[in-house]
Amino acid sequence: MNARPESLEAASLSVVHSPLQATRLRSLQALGIFCGFAAGAWLGGAEAPIKLVNADISPITVSLVMVCGVFLARWSVPAFIRGTSHVRADVLQAPHLVVWAILAGCMWAVANTLTIYAIRNVGLSIAFPLWNTNSLLGIFWGFLLFHELRLAGWKRWLGVLGGALCMFAGAALLAIASSHQAAPGKATFGIAAALGAGVLWGTMYIPYRKAYLTGMNPLSFITFFTVGELVTMLIVAVAYRGATPLWHELNAARPVLFWLMLGGFVWVLGDLFQQYATKYVGISRGIPLSNTNQLWGLLWGVLVFHELKGGTHTIYAQVTGGSLLMAAGAVAIALSSATEREHSSWRNAAAREGERYGVEHEYVRAGMEGRSFDGKHHARSVLDWLLVLGTSALFVALASVARLPVMDISRGWGVVLSGAMIVLLASGGVALWRTTRFR
Amino acid sequence: MPPERSNSLIRAIATDVHFWIPFCVLLGGLALLDKLR
Repeated sequence: MNARPESLEAASLSVVHSPLQATRLRSLQALGIFCGFAAGAWLGGAEAPIKLVNADISPITVSLVMVCGVFLARWSVPAFIRGTSHVRADVLQAPHLVVWAILAGCMWAVANTLTIYAIRNVGLSIAFPLWNTNSLLGIFWGFLLFHELRLAGWKRWLGVLGGALCMFAGAALLAIASSHQAAPGKATFGIAAALGAGVLWGTMYIPYRKAYLTGMNPLSFITFFTVGELVTMLIVAVAYRGATPLWHELNAARPVLFWLMLGGFVWVLGDLFQQYATKYVGISRGIPLSNTNQLWGLLWGVLVFHELKGGTHTIYAQVTGGSLLMAAGAVAIALSSATEREHSSWRNAAAREGERYGVEHEYVRAGMEGRSFDGKHHARSVLDWLLVLGTSALFVALASVARLPVMDISRGWGVVLSGAMIVLLASGGVALWRTTRFR
Repeated sequence: MPPERSNSLIRAIATDVHFWIPFCVLLGGLALLDKLR
């Protein structure tokens, strides 16, 4: 695809293939693993605001409003962190990734809508482990398509696959523990929806990995990703609900719009950590780690919303056992970071992507190493500040008309869990800045 | 972007199996959503 002389081509390819400094590889792996855990906390916490919303609102409308919050977050957060001029620079280097980002966004929107059907029909406690099977699918795609876990050695295979299976078993145990909450007759629909979401999310990681092997910045990827999300949700919502009924429903839902959009915003912060985890440790490790969101979802459910209240000792034993299994699985994966030999097969996959789409090899290499490609500083523009201020103003306006539903909620535990999430956000942000300048 | 470059990118995407796997899964997801509504 490139019209470059062969000698220059070979020299550029050797740039991608040359080994990464051992200390740099270790710090990027540690960063990716930390991002995976932080993603778990924020993705799990995102379900909490949605639980405050009345069940009378259609799942499609719930998903549409969430996606509006997601859209605003996916533009305002990158504008705040690095500025949108970085996005333009990235797209000029790898324009084909816009297509991949939009495709992934469409998948996210459909999966998210399915999860709302799943939660309504079988409850969060059952739905969560079912759609979290996406991590097993992620490992499969990572190995098959992107050379992950190749040349990794049996110990790392055991750590990743054993850890993911351990997490799956823990998730299943949690599902059994809370199965008494499922609404009779609706279970089949709920299970189909949750599994469908798992397959969509598990496969959505193909575009993610594609983008990050090519060197794209997660902050750039998500801005196009969200176009796919919003357009898909608008089409689905108008087609399924009809424009006028949808408008009336949105008007009637004004007091809860804030909670739904907040859920979307919180989800984006978790997803951003997940994107960085995928970039630096691959999908086979990043996705299972971010699936610790189930533990966070459980903590919110049990401590704040008093789920499982009055349960038997058996149920509490199952919840404790399931949670410990999940935690043990996550630790096993965290301890199985990629070696230099495995990283060399990632670089082969990256070189293949660069060749196929005619991307500069130095750009691919710099992206994998989390360093600057062109050394240029892109300053924030007026547009960036308008995005940040506009989004903040809209959230303040919606918060001013929001109402907290009458529910048995433990606010103290809510503050404690929110505090823990903020600590993870701050430490993750500092680590990303120090190691990669959010690249 | 020059038309030649965009044509070659479109060709590269259309012949990339990595594109068709998620695309087919997306269509399946939409069909499932249609059943559930």
